[in-house]
Amino acid sequence: MKRLARVLRASAWLGWQVEANWADPLLFLIYAIAKPLATTLILFFMVKIVSQGNATGETFRFIFIGNTFFIYVTEVLIGISWTVFRDREDYETLKYIYVAPMRLLPYLLGRAFTRVGTATVGVVVALLFGRLVLGLSIGATATNWLLLVAAVALGLVGVLWLGIILAGTSLVVARHSMNLNEGLSGLFYLLCGAVFPLDVLPAWARSISLALPFTYWLELLRRLLTGRGFAASLSGMTDADLWKVIALATVGLCALAILWFGWCERVARDRGLIDWKTNY
Amino acid sequence: MESRLKQVLAMNLAAVFARAGVRVKASFRESSWVIGETIFPFLSMSAFVLVYRGLHAPREYEGFVVLGGAMIAYWNNVIWGMASQFFWEREQGQLQLYLITPVSRMSILIGMALGGIAMTTTRAAAILIGGMLLFHVELPLSRALPAFGLFLLTLGAAYSLGMILSSLFLLWGREVWHTATILQEPIYLFSGFYFPVSAMGAAVAIAGSILPVTLGLDGIRQVFYGKAAHGLLPLAWIPPIQVALTLVFLLVASVMLRYMENLGKHEGRLTVRGD
Repeated sequence: MKRLARVLRASAWLGWQVEANWADPLLFLIYAIAKPLATTLILFFMVKIVSQGNATGETFRFIFIGNTFFIYVTEVLIGISWTVFRDREDYETLKYIYVAPMRLLPYLLGRAFTRVGTATVGVVVALLFGRLVLGLSIGATATNWLLLVAAVALGLVGVLWLGIILAGTSLVVARHSMNLNEGLSGLFYLLCGAVFPLDVLPAWARSISLALPFTYWLELLRRLLTGRGFAASLSGMTDADLWKVIALATVGLCALAILWFGWCERVARDRGLIDWKTNY
Repeated sequence: MESRLKQVLAMNLAAVFARAGVRVKASFRESSWVIGETIFPFLSMSAFVLVYRGLHAPREYEGFVVLGGAMIAYWNNVIWGMASQFFWEREQGQLQLYLITPVSRMSILIGMALGGIAMTTTRAAAILIGGMLLFHVELPLSRALPAFGLFLLTLGAAYSLGMILSSLFLLWGREVWHTATILQEPIYLFSGFYFPVSAMGAAVAIAGSILPVTLGLDGIRQVFYGKAAHGLLPLAWIPPIQVALTLVFLLVASVMLRYMENLGKHEGRLTVRGD
């Protein structure tokens, strides 16, 4: 356990150096918050201009919350699989990490912590921007902030394990398959109802949406922050039901990720893909 | 003298086709890439069409977002496939091979641009065709020809800007990654990829028009939707502005490339590997 903690700490530190040591912290912060702020403003103008008065401030609040917390999904999911490609092909260090006395999986989890950190900065800044600049009320009188942190953390664990599944896939596919990983994030953005109510989706897409854990995660976060739900399709579920679904999905993702990653790792070694270069 | 000129021209043209050919072949070599380049960008665009439906937006706005989605594909290619490309080449130890060839750097970049346009057109076509077929987005095809002309002028200016950026990115280190990222969502906002740029106010819109994609998209929407596009500038002004931008950007790119290459040689920053 102590050893695992050391691996996680060392790889998280390495991740931070790779991400951030080229710039001073202020410049890095600007880079880290530009994307979430721009996305927030895109949605703000969309609601303001596009809806032509049809959408209420409340609609924007729901869209804003979904979009803000979805930052975790894009950043962490894509970040972990990119780590494989960057280490394998750009820095050519994956083979050295592989022969070091540690497992690849905890190393990648540690590297993901940096992404979790930068995503958290993005989320916090976006929430503050929403509250202070856009005048949104973030949080209801009944909001239990500790519970909110727990809900974010639980969802994040699920995101991390899904990231490990993608990282395993990245071990056995060429670099340009990164499009698939990025596309998957786009697919989740579409199907989880991050920026629109699920009820707008056609019935077949809604069924897929209801099979994704992030749909329930975003709904729970919205309920915790506003005191009421967003998706009519989930109105029959209590908060406790949402917690159960997310917890079960997280356990399922964890088991699947460990099995899948182990299989991919074996295949990568069998086929000599640990030092594969595909960045032509 | 004349034969020397012919030889130089032939060599540079060959470089253009060779560099473009690598990209075109690479695009279709991996089936996963084709899927990633078509289905997934379409899904991302679909999210925004559904947002508009959720907001009960007028139908033409769905057309705006589909056109914007197609243009985003090209802008991303300018950023990741043009601007950052010399950085990647340097990382792979290939940049010096380009530099010792007897062809102009501009020929290599034009080849990259043409190959990149071919690659990206698959993605843009998937967005446009998917939008029309699945979401029944209305694009009046009778006006497609002038829109296509304006689109070509826009690509010329956008990829010329990509050449300027590639000279800047040539000397940068890991900030390239972050700079390229910063040139995505903030640019999507200020270029009006998802809604008419004029909606953000004249000052912001004119500042955003420094980027050719902003004006190009504004013009293409005006061609298709007329006054409903809430155009920023009169349509007749846009083609000459795009031509002027292309010429200025090409000139600046050629000067910048030479300057940055010399600077790189003096500072020893053109290679990062021993190979």
